[in-house]
Amino acid sequence: MMKSLFTHPFTKFVLKKVVFYLIVAFVALTFVFLIPRFMPSNPVEIMLARSSPSNTGVNMTALREAMYTYFGMNKPLFDQYISFWGQLFTGNLGRSFRYFPAPVMKMVLEKLPFTLALVIPVLVISFFLGNWIGAKAAYVGGKWSELVYFFSVFSNRLPSFWFGMVLLFLLAVKVKLFPTFGAYSFGTIPSWSFSFFIDLLHHYLLPFFTLLFIYLGGWATGMRSMVIHEMDSGYVRYSEQLGFRKKKLMSYAQRNAMLPQFTGVNLLFNALIGETLIIEVIFGWPGIGRLMYEAVTSVDYPLIFGGFLITMCVVVLGNFLIDILYGFIDPRIRTGRG
Amino acid sequence: MWELLLRSRKFITGSVVVGVIVMFGIIGPLVTRDANKKDWTKMGLPPSNEYLLGTTAFGEDVLAQLCLGIRNSLLVGAIAGALGTFLAILLGALGAYKGGWTDEISSFVTNIIIVFPVLPLLIILAAVMEQRSLIVVGVLIALTTWPWAARSIRSQVLSLKEREFVNLARMSGMKDRTTVITEVLPNMLAYIIMVFVLLVGGAILAEAGISMIGVGPAGTVTLGQMLWFAMNQTLKAHWWDMWWWFIPPGLVLTVFLSAVFVVHAGMEELFNPRLRTV
Repeated sequence: MMKSLFTHPFTKFVLKKVVFYLIVAFVALTFVFLIPRFMPSNPVEIMLARSSPSNTGVNMTALREAMYTYFGMNKPLFDQYISFWGQLFTGNLGRSFRYFPAPVMKMVLEKLPFTLALVIPVLVISFFLGNWIGAKAAYVGGKWSELVYFFSVFSNRLPSFWFGMVLLFLLAVKVKLFPTFGAYSFGTIPSWSFSFFIDLLHHYLLPFFTLLFIYLGGWATGMRSMVIHEMDSGYVRYSEQLGFRKKKLMSYAQRNAMLPQFTGVNLLFNALIGETLIIEVIFGWPGIGRLMYEAVTSVDYPLIFGGFLITMCVVVLGNFLIDILYGFIDPRIRTGRG
Repeated sequence: MWELLLRSRKFITGSVVVGVIVMFGIIGPLVTRDANKKDWTKMGLPPSNEYLLGTTAFGEDVLAQLCLGIRNSLLVGAIAGALGTFLAILLGALGAYKGGWTDEISSFVTNIIIVFPVLPLLIILAAVMEQRSLIVVGVLIALTTWPWAARSIRSQVLSLKEREFVNLARMSGMKDRTTVITEVLPNMLAYIIMVFVLLVGGAILAEAGISMIGVGPAGTVTLGQMLWFAMNQTLKAHWWDMWWWFIPPGLVLTVFLSAVFVVHAGMEELFNPRLRTV
């Protein structure tokens, strides 16, 4: 039993993916380590220059030395690298500068659910709804199909942050339908009550819709052309001659069109993470993007790197899960025959 | 092939729109007012005959800023597009042509980098750069956006290298590098141009994106910087309804990206036999 499990092609496929993403994570984290150390000016110098406490009578040399020691940057590079990994494995990302004693790890983990609350629903809903619209357009054909095509191309070209700004201006500033900022009204305390949930939802709708609108278009255009292509292929033509109903033909074509669509989920997921970070800044949604934005404006390097690290983890884990799911959906990989 | 392009309505329309925007960027800054001049007596004026697109909260001319912004954004796009295409060819074409370990390594590198989230990576790269000029931002964008281009160039080369004229060049004792440069690449020039155009569009969007996070090019006007200032001044701090400030840069971005897409769609229809209609 155990033996057959390990020699099963799907297990091999999963193991291969695990190794690949471990390498990706390793390379990415090494980048995170190397980037600030090989730049012409390092974060400590930038922070010292920005805060410029020289006129307050602070001993600059002592301060500089203290900061280098704090970051362990006076040790040999390899020692720093070892302790960098040690810290990562103990979940220690250092402390934020702006909110000083607050550990970065805790801050990022607090914000992560807000980002995921945007990313995951947008990804899932846009995938199903967008593909449904695309397939429907291909099925109906004619004028409607063209209209859907132009509309989805246009929606997919919109820069998400600008579209967000326009919506914010129209629906929150001009017509006061939605709140302009944050995840819940000023002064409310997060709780598990119904009224808080409604308040949260009220704040959530606009950023959610902005992202959804843009990503729907991408799926719809792709699915439309895939289905049109499939409907033209031999097996559909043959079934048509056999007298199958159009609905039946469509279900065959759709199934085959879905698979290539699914390979796009990875790339889209990566793009969506980035756009969500910007959308959070526009709408003041308190996720990782907003956190990194504040960290950038206050030159809080530990927080910037912590934000990147957690995004990287989400991306790697997400890509891994999507790949596994793809293997599960594609019968050629699932059974190892193909 | 090239004559066919001129018959493609999509290609022509898209190119004309891109051309108009490029002309705005080149000629605009020469004829408009100084984009950086702050006139405190003329803050937040709506569009009028004197200021066609109104003024910003700092009393700058929006039209002048827009033209300069287009120019600088295009500059970032051109740098990122050119360098990105070069990297994509280097890692996509050479590996695919040589095969064996070269291919293994270059596709492995590409597959790893393609997983990296572009925007967060740009944020930390830009955050540790103290001096962020247009060139620096362009280079950073190129370094993070080339992988998909390398992948698609690789697949093109894989099919092209089996063609007879390439075999002939190889048999005549031409060096691998020379064969790629003189035989393979010229035959996929149109495809490379397509990749370049898409990279430029992507880079301009990426520049605007990192500007929104606050790590865009410093001290200059770009479309992204305009949007960032507009956001901070009109949508956040005080509610001055200055739609004329943030609508134009975003609209130009949208139109430009749509035009790039239409150009790309027109070219793809020609070069992808599956879609060919012309």
